[in-house]
Amino acid sequence: MGIVVTGVGIVSALGIGVEKNLAAISLGESGISALPKLLRTTNKLPVGELRLSNEELHALIGIPIEEHLSRTALLGILAVKEAMACIDIDFSKRVGLVSSTSVGGMDLTEHFFEKFIEDDTTGRLRDVRMHDCAASTEAIARYCGINSYKTTLSTACSSAANAVIAGAKLLKHNIVDYVVVGGTDALSAFTLNGFKSLMILDEKPCRPFDATRAGLNLGEGAGYLILQREEDAKSYYCHLSGYSNRNDAHHQTASSAEGNGAYLAMSDALKMANMLPADVSYINAHGTGTGNNDASESAAFLRLFGDSVPPFSSTKGYTGHTLAAAGGVEAVLSVLAIKKGCRYPNLNFATPIPEYGLIPMLKYENDVLVNSVLTNSFGFGGNCSSLLFTR
Amino acid sequence: MRCYINRVITAEEVSSDIKLLIPDAGVRRRMSRVIKSAVTTAVECMGAVEEIDSLDAIITATGWGCLADSERFLRNIIVDKEQLLNPTPFIQSTFNTVGGQIALLRHNHCYNVTYVNRSHSFEDALLDAMMRIADGESEKILVGAFDEQTPSQHRIMERMGLFRKCNDGEGAVFAHITATQTPESKAQVEKIDFLQHPLSEEECFARYASSDSSKLLYNNYSEYGLFPTSSAYCFAKAVKLIQDGVKEVVVYKEYLGDTPVVLIIRCIG
Repeated sequence: MGIVVTGVGIVSALGIGVEKNLAAISLGESGISALPKLLRTTNKLPVGELRLSNEELHALIGIPIEEHLSRTALLGILAVKEAMACIDIDFSKRVGLVSSTSVGGMDLTEHFFEKFIEDDTTGRLRDVRMHDCAASTEAIARYCGINSYKTTLSTACSSAANAVIAGAKLLKHNIVDYVVVGGTDALSAFTLNGFKSLMILDEKPCRPFDATRAGLNLGEGAGYLILQREEDAKSYYCHLSGYSNRNDAHHQTASSAEGNGAYLAMSDALKMANMLPADVSYINAHGTGTGNNDASESAAFLRLFGDSVPPFSSTKGYTGHTLAAAGGVEAVLSVLAIKKGCRYPNLNFATPIPEYGLIPMLKYENDVLVNSVLTNSFGFGGNCSSLLFTR
Repeated sequence: MRCYINRVITAEEVSSDIKLLIPDAGVRRRMSRVIKSAVTTAVECMGAVEEIDSLDAIITATGWGCLADSERFLRNIIVDKEQLLNPTPFIQSTFNTVGGQIALLRHNHCYNVTYVNRSHSFEDALLDAMMRIADGESEKILVGAFDEQTPSQHRIMERMGLFRKCNDGEGAVFAHITATQTPESKAQVEKIDFLQHPLSEEECFARYASSDSSKLLYNNYSEYGLFPTSSAYCFAKAVKLIQDGVKEVVVYKEYLGDTPVVLIIRCIG
């Protein structure tokens, strides 16, 4: 049975919606700014921040401010609403949701905890009600008309890719008729300080796959797809033909030098689709800009594709690393690459990594035939997932 | 969809020496309390650490995740004013740490995912396992759930008024599940149903029990305390009841306003 993508929705530092995101990318405009403006932190580090406050986001969606939703939920609702507006959904059918997040309602918990650790009778309880990961899923379901099975998963930076995989399985097993899949994560002082403590944040704009890369920039956003069984869809963007979730099993936070998990995930996704490495038109890489990730991913590319690595790029120079949402944001961009016939450049690249010699896409390409896109998402805990979209 | 349950172990039942379950002293030392508890339960469930090699899927579930480490890191950010932070609690605060650590013990590259869906986390993990088995993607799966309670969490839940009827709790449960029956198979999962509306005890029995001798565990999760994956303990109890001769156990759970989930566990054959 074929699984097709029938809707897409995206929010990132580039803006709200497919149009704004694609326009910025085609013009080479990054969403990463030198400092956070909204996030409460003393860290002077570049971030990909959506420049709308939680109050403004509530107003924009038309949710009363008293609902006091977490930023993660608000970003998710915006992207899901856009994806669902792509088609006429028959709400008499089962509309499911597989969402993912790594920070949950941490942006609100941070406010709570500051007061709470001084005096445990203080801190507003409404600031912790949305702490857990499923709270954002519940809010999305409530405001977007989800009427059937819903779940939440969290596998660090590969989360949304695994949500796509889980959604495809729900369709195959006839548990849902439509399924909204993806991820959402807001910037938080928690994650910014976390990655800073690991010393993998670049103080300048990130340079994925460049020899001088010095770390990632954090971003925030949400990316969701609507998946349906092919026979139920009137029209579609593309097929989800292959996917795989494998574990690098090398280290809790670092990737293996050989790129074992990445290699297994990409090759399994191709196998599932009965495709050869040579059939891949474009790879949207995980490409965070850290020394370790980009080396490991490059090693995996060379193992799988030999000396004919397909055109590839990381779009994290535009959006920052949106953590759990990254697999969703990049799945949306991958689907659009097929639908619109475009391939995205890798910002801030100058010098190939000597050991691998790989050069990513450097210019925005329009009006090209893109038959298949592989997109990678890797995370802490060794989680490596790849999705394969085809025309 | 159907699968066989070979072993179910709760954290309280772990009896092996932790040095055998997690042989590397450095790894043991770095693990937080909940990670240690969940990983030892997982390995005990497998019988021996080497048995992790045989798994082709590791599926974990947690409602709250590694709460103590999340709190510790958050506290450090505030107290140390975002300066010179130790990354260990941040690393270990990630929801998939337990799943990752189990894979890492034996460098197992198989499918590995973590469900974080409140009181449905364990049942979602079980559904995923059953779909993988039905699709022929997996033969031997480790499915487990864990949650930890912390003083702050207790205080917050107390302020929310959640302990009027229930005590707090925490725990870990892991199950070894296979596609085909083995000499060790104790029971089988017959069905998982996610309902949109609650059922009374009578309605539930009438709809799901296949005979009058079936046993219904109706909202008994509170026996194990108030934590999102407490129903994994109901699952463990259902398997024990089957071993004691009950032919079918229906587990119904409706936790803190979440939509209900029904599990049917049956004897083999």
